[in-house]
Amino acid sequence: MEKVVSSGLKLMQMQMPKAASAGLLQWNALQMQQVRHRQTKHWKPEFKRLRKQKFIKIELPNFREKQEDISKEEMRSRMKERGVLPPRPWMERPFHISCTGGIFEAYVPPEGDGKKSFISTTGAKQKLEFLEKKSKSMMAVRKIRSYEESFNTDEFEEHAQELYISAHTLMAAKEKYKIREFVSERCYPEMMHNVKDKTIRWRFLQSIEPPRVVHARCTEVITKENQFAQVTVRFHTQQMLAIYDRFGRLMHGSEILTKDVLEYVVFEKHISNEYGKWRLHDKIIPDWLPAKQPAPITYRVIEEPVEEVAKELEAGEQTKQLESGSEQQKEQLAAATSAQALPETSSKPTLAI
Amino acid sequence: MNKLIRPMQLLALQRPLLANTQLKALAPALTQSGDTGDKCGLHTSANGALCAKWNKHNYGPKKWLEYNKTVHPPQEKDEEPRNAYICHMRSNIKYSPDKMWYIAAFVRGMSVDEALKQLDFVLKKGATDVKETILEAQQMAQERHNVEYKSNLWIAESFVGKGRVFKGMRRHARGRFGRVEYKHCHYFVRLEEGTPPEHYYQPEPQTPQQQYEHWLEQMRSRKIINSL
Repeated sequence: MEKVVSSGLKLMQMQMPKAASAGLLQWNALQMQQVRHRQTKHWKPEFKRLRKQKFIKIELPNFREKQEDISKEEMRSRMKERGVLPPRPWMERPFHISCTGGIFEAYVPPEGDGKKSFISTTGAKQKLEFLEKKSKSMMAVRKIRSYEESFNTDEFEEHAQELYISAHTLMAAKEKYKIREFVSERCYPEMMHNVKDKTIRWRFLQSIEPPRVVHARCTEVITKENQFAQVTVRFHTQQMLAIYDRFGRLMHGSEILTKDVLEYVVFEKHISNEYGKWRLHDKIIPDWLPAKQPAPITYRVIEEPVEEVAKELEAGEQTKQLESGSEQQKEQLAAATSAQALPETSSKPTLAI
Repeated sequence: MNKLIRPMQLLALQRPLLANTQLKALAPALTQSGDTGDKCGLHTSANGALCAKWNKHNYGPKKWLEYNKTVHPPQEKDEEPRNAYICHMRSNIKYSPDKMWYIAAFVRGMSVDEALKQLDFVLKKGATDVKETILEAQQMAQERHNVEYKSNLWIAESFVGKGRVFKGMRRHARGRFGRVEYKHCHYFVRLEEGTPPEHYYQPEPQTPQQQYEHWLEQMRSRKIINSL
C-alpha cells in the first residue's frame, strides 16, 4: 500500500471576478483575495493538527545550500550536534624554491630600442647606464661560469632560442607535462592559463636578428649558497599566431599573416643545483609600450563603478583580457601585432614586447 | 483494538531508526562544505550514505558539463561559422521531476529572452530554478565561450533528470502505513547561438505545391498487387 504525497504547493487559485455583479472597486478587492477550492480536507481546523500527525517528519538535507551562507554559529552548532572536532589550524605554508617569484633588477629596454642618437642627452644617458649595467652583467656572467663552467653567452643565445621555440610550441600543443621542462614554475600558469578550450596555431618563421644576451643577474635566496641566475635575451623574430575559440572560430590573429616580434625574454636557472636547467621565466614589458588595442568584439561598458569597468566588461572581451593579461607571451604577440602591423609606414620604432 | 496497537508499537520501534536518518540528513550540508572550498575542513568522510565522497548521487550528474570541454577543430574560410553552444545544469532541486517536466518542455525551443519573459508568469515553484539556470548559462556563454551577443541564444535542449529521493513514512487507517517520497530533480539546459527554429514542435506547414508533390510521390510509390 503505497501512496505518494507531494508536500508543499497547495492548490491556491485566484478567485475569478464576477464581472457583471461587482463594481470596479470590489472587482479589484476580489482579485487580490486567495481562495482555496480544494474540498478534499475536512473543514474543521482542529483536525489539521491530527492530519499533520499522520506524517512522520524527517529532516531533508538542503542540497542547494552554499558554504558561504552557513554562519559560524550555525556551523558550530551542527558540529557540536554530531560530535565533530573543529579543524586544526594549518599554519604552515608550502612553497617551492626551484625558481624565484619574479625578475630581480629587470632590464629596462631602451625606448625605440636603442635607436636614440648617441649625441642627444637621453641617448648619452642611456649609453652610460647601459655601460654601468654591463659591468654588473659581466660580474653575473662570471658568477654563472663559476657554477657552470661551459657557460658561454654565444652558445647560450642559440640554446635560448631553442628553449623559446619549444616552450611556445608545447604551449600551443597544450602539452602540460612536457612544457614544465622549458618553463619555470612561475611562468607556467601564465603560459597555460586559458589555453584549455582554445586552439592555438603558432609558428616560428625566422629570426630577423640573431638573439642577443643583453642582461645577466645573479641572486641568492635564503642562504648564500642558494644561487639563482637570470639572463635576459633579446629576440627579434618573425612569427605567426592564430587563436581559435572552442568552436573553431577565429578569435585573434591569422594564419596567413607574418608579424615581426621584438621581445626581451628572461631565462632562469638554479645554478647551485647540479641538475638545474635554463628555463623560460618571464618577459619584460616596458612602461612606455603603447596601450593595446581593444578586442574587436561588442561589449557593454557598465559605467557605475569607475575602477571596475575593466572587470565588468562583457563576455569575450573579458576572456580576451584574461587570456592576454595572464598569458604573457600572447600579450606580447598581440602587442606585436598592433604595434608592428605596418613597420615601414609608421615613424615609431618597431619595438613591441 | 489489539490489531491497532501492534503496528503502532512497530512504528514506535522504527522511531529511533528515523531519528538516525535525521542525523544523517545533516551530512551533505557539511560535506558540501568540505568539497567546495575546504574552508572549514570538516572531516566528514565517516558520515554514511549522505557523504558526497561515498555517494556519487550527492554530486549530481557530471557528464552533461563535460560537453563544455569539447574543442572543435578550426574551420576553413569558406565554411559556415559553427554555432556556439553551452551546457549547464542545476542538480538536486527540491521539486518533483514530474512537475518540472512541464516547465522544461514549455521553455524548449524558445529564444532566451522569450523564455525569461515567459517564465516570470509560470506559477510553479520550479520556474525560478529554471530561470536562474538559464541566466547562469547565458552569463557563462558570454564570459567563457566567446558568445558576442547574449540575446542571440536559444534553448536547444531542456530536460529534467531524477535526483535523490528520500523515503518517508505516513500512517493510514487500520494500522497500515504508506510511503512518502520526497523527490529531488536535476534540470539540464543547452543554449545554442542563433535564432530559434520557427517550428520547433510541429512539423513545418507545407505549401499546396509541396502537399501535392508529396501526394504524387505517395501515389506513384504504391505497390499494385498482381501487376507486372
